[in-house]
Amino acid sequence: MVQISHHKQKQFEKIYDKYIGKIYRFVFLKVSSQEIAEDLTSEVFTRGWQSFQKENCDIKNPQAFLYQIARNLVIDHYRQKGQAQLVSIDNLPLIEEGPNLEERAMFKSEVSNVKAALANINDDYREIITWYYLDEFSVPEIAKILNKSEDAVRVQIHRAIQALKGEVGEV
Amino acid sequence: MTEKDLIKQLKQLKEIKPSKDWVLLTKRRILPEVPVSERSMSNVFAVFQWKLAFAPVISVFIVIGLFGFANTTVPGDFLFPFKKAAEIAQVGLSSGAEKSGVHLKLANRRLEELSGIAEVNKVRSLAPTIKEFQDNMTEAANGLSQMGSLNLKELVFETQKMEENKQKVESVLGIQIGGETNKFENQLVSYLISDLERRSLNEEDQKLLAEAREYSEAGNYNLALEKLLVLMNPPADGRSQ
Repeated sequence: MVQISHHKQKQFEKIYDKYIGKIYRFVFLKVSSQEIAEDLTSEVFTRGWQSFQKENCDIKNPQAFLYQIARNLVIDHYRQKGQAQLVSIDNLPLIEEGPNLEERAMFKSEVSNVKAALANINDDYREIITWYYLDEFSVPEIAKILNKSEDAVRVQIHRAIQALKGEVGEV
Repeated sequence: MTEKDLIKQLKQLKEIKPSKDWVLLTKRRILPEVPVSERSMSNVFAVFQWKLAFAPVISVFIVIGLFGFANTTVPGDFLFPFKKAAEIAQVGLSSGAEKSGVHLKLANRRLEELSGIAEVNKVRSLAPTIKEFQDNMTEAANGLSQMGSLNLKELVFETQKMEENKQKVESVLGIQIGGETNKFENQLVSYLISDLERRSLNEEDQKLLAEAREYSEAGNYNLALEKLLVLMNPPADGRSQ
């Protein structure tokens, strides 16, 4: 029994190492606060581990499973706080910056613009852009997470990038 | 801004990462380190799994080892079936023209084993070894019809060696084991004589062949083989055949 539990822990440690960065970024782009992103991401993996430990638990797609928990937690977070999803351009996360001052200023400016634009588009679009362009998930993988057809996902990616493009122009 | 530029900027957001300290602390909080006692148990399990992974290789070594040990056994011993299996494989892999020679070599090996058995007085191995010897002689006789002329000399040498071993064993054991050897030698001598009769021989060779025929008719196959061996190995001055 101990060995089975230890084996499961080893498995979940691998899942943790693989997805912690992606889940954190996914949450951060929704809440735009390092502190809240850390709290919610930590809660995602705590709940994930609790489910994973159950004897009859059979998680076939850990990726989809974790993102689903993360989505629900963010929704709960805003519901509890009664807050709208407002993101400040200045509230930048940990970013590896360029080597010199000019490059750093340019980088920060570009990232700030696109991040602000991303924060202002529809939540579904933001999610799909994060998965497709940042996490580099394939269309079939996103279709599995969203439980939608691949064609529907492709259409949504196209609409999302158009929406972001429009938003960047306005920022 | 083009879509390409937008995507390029978008990808810069990949740099959003949690701090390494937070990642480690959170991991340890959610997944506490396994206690040493459990880890050691797990290590035992891991070693077991590691051994399982090497099971096929270990099995191969065990089988090779068994065949190695079995090589010194004699009929009636526990590991003799492994030696027998290797010999069956040896016969199976030989061509039709070689089979008789292989059986003859195996029969010789049994005779050598019989000498050893007699020396250590290993009575229970006597009967199965004699039976193995006779079985090999029968098979050698059966395979003679497929013999090629290339293997004849080797076969004659092996037969003479077998005859010497047989006489030695019979004198030690005080029993006759050669019924099958006589049959084999008879067939071999007849085959060689008929083969030489088809060739053009000079006067001296014809005389040797006639002597071989006489020995054969008298049942003295060993001496007949000696004469035939001389005929098959002409001297360097180029006696005609």
